[in-house]
Amino acid sequence: MTMASETMDELRKPPADEPWPQGGIRLNEEQLRARRTRSIAIALALGAFVAVIFAVTIVRLGSAALQRPIYMQPAQPAQGTK
Amino acid sequence: MSVTLARAEPSIAGAGDYIELMKPRVMSLVVFTAFVGMMVAPGHIHPVIGFAALLCITVGAGAAGALNMWYDADIDARMERTAGRPIPRGRVAPGEAAGFGFTLAAFSVVTLGLLINLVAAALLAFTIFFYVAIYTIWLKRSTPQNIVIGGAAGALPPMIGWASATGGLAIEPVVLFLIIFFWTPPHFWALSLYRIGDYARAGVPMLPVVAGEGETRRQIWLYTLLLAPLGVAPWLLGYTGLIYGVAALVLGGGMLVLALRVRRESGGHAACKQLFGFSILYLFLLFAMLLVDRMSGGLFGHFTA
Repeated sequence: MTMASETMDELRKPPADEPWPQGGIRLNEEQLRARRTRSIAIALALGAFVAVIFAVTIVRLGSAALQRPIYMQPAQPAQGTK
Repeated sequence: MSVTLARAEPSIAGAGDYIELMKPRVMSLVVFTAFVGMMVAPGHIHPVIGFAALLCITVGAGAAGALNMWYDADIDARMERTAGRPIPRGRVAPGEAAGFGFTLAAFSVVTLGLLINLVAAALLAFTIFFYVAIYTIWLKRSTPQNIVIGGAAGALPPMIGWASATGGLAIEPVVLFLIIFFWTPPHFWALSLYRIGDYARAGVPMLPVVAGEGETRRQIWLYTLLLAPLGVAPWLLGYTGLIYGVAALVLGGGMLVLALRVRRESGGHAACKQLFGFSILYLFLLFAMLLVDRMSGGLFGHFTA
């Protein structure tokens, strides 16, 4: 075992007088409720962000938003040049 | 090597706590003044673009509020007015508030730059920087001029709104900036006069704590003497019509009467509370009248937009 992994093992250990609970941390009712409201708020914020980006894109580009080529041919060099 | 880490308790912060971190009441005034700055600007801004710009400014203002609460958590805990904020109450950990604030600040500035224009984004970034680094971290704890200089951050939103609509700046938004800049000292010093115990307990060198009540009352009067004519300036400079001019004269007169009462008051704070309440109404109505004047096309007057 390398020095670095020993250090990581030490970091993962809980304090001696505070063992990790069996089966991981269990959230109480209040913590579950708070997590749920945070999750809903994040979902709404992300949805609003996507909607704003979409709306501004349509306003800025108009119908051209759907008419842009997927691949644009690179410009041909002018004749007579190497 | 042995490292002992304290295990963090799972968060009990709900969405409402994070909204509270963004100082919604301050945010509403910021959004309103930015909206007016946008609407009085020459030309036309598409409603969707305008809405996106306002949303970015709102989130940017909220980010600045969250970062302020993160840094000032120790002060907030000692002040009656702010002890119920999410961090002193133990609802949100300081690190969570900092992460929330920095993330929103970055998102709002980058989005404003990409969707609207770089001038508006640069102004928003400067506003957040000024409020957090210059006012909160530096000035607030070190000088009684904290809210005078720091007031620049609160005065910038109309300029951001104007820049969002035009892509540049002009004299008109600078006049709006100056109105809010000179409005801030009478507004905050009126509050700090009747919350003097709070600020003294927290060790914040507000003017009444450092220079005394008499000097603060004198300076409130002086700043209001500057504010009242500045409020009328958009009309005198020909940017608005008579409707706004008359409203600004009446409202400025109200501010002067109340500031004079504060100056003459002794042994109480009734006039301070009146001035604090009226100052909010003053700024709101002044900017609302700018909007009305713009919508009505500058009735009766020399509207030059």
